[in-house]
Amino acid sequence: MLIINEDDLQTIFANCSREYPNEACGILAGSPGVVEQVYAMTNARPGLASYEMDPEEQFRVMKAIRRSGLGIVGIYHSHPSGPAYPSGIDVERAYWPGTLFPNFPDAAYMIVSLAHPSNPAARTFAISDGQISEVELIVRQA
Amino acid sequence: MPITVRIPTPLQKMTNGKAEVECSAGNVRELVDVLEKEFPGMRERLSEGGKIRRFINIYVNDEDIRFMSKEDTALKDGDSISIVPAIAGGGYNRRVRR
Repeated sequence: MLIINEDDLQTIFANCSREYPNEACGILAGSPGVVEQVYAMTNARPGLASYEMDPEEQFRVMKAIRRSGLGIVGIYHSHPSGPAYPSGIDVERAYWPGTLFPNFPDAAYMIVSLAHPSNPAARTFAISDGQISEVELIVRQA
Repeated sequence: MPITVRIPTPLQKMTNGKAEVECSAGNVRELVDVLEKEFPGMRERLSEGGKIRRFINIYVNDEDIRFMSKEDTALKDGDSISIVPAIAGGGYNRRVRR
């Protein structure tokens, strides 16, 4: 289960729409299962139907999250024309290269589909032990 | 003061759960060798053909070694090293188009 405020979800949707037709990406910081802060990140490889967070920005944000006493509870990215479901590459990159060790075992992977650009759809998944399982996304109204 | 290496969660299985280890090495290549000696298997996790693996980022005191001298980046006592997996993915659209 991942709980997110409606405002934060709208921030994510706005980021994904702004980056369209490229993939947008970001980090969700919070306490276990609860998003408290959204970090929209720079996609260092836009235009390739893929994303890779800018490494220095990622490092800086991860450090800031650690220092604020929060953890990485989610990682989001958009599929500009694909479904809100992890691609093969999403799954592969969720693990340490050449292993089935999840890179961020406490993070859920949120995918925002812009297949219908005026109506973005978000779903959230756990990617571990070689499996993809949906994580319930609970949107808290303000 | 030795070099401090921050170990990412997925590799802590290899360091008996330790999130930080201390060692001495003259450059990043040597650091991989030292870690391999102490934690067998670490070399393969970090590098391939003598180069740091793609999608693995290494920082020396907050600087990405790709913008320094990569595997030849010099290290000195007191340095703080972070090993961080890249956050990346995608490719759905490309696959759908095929």
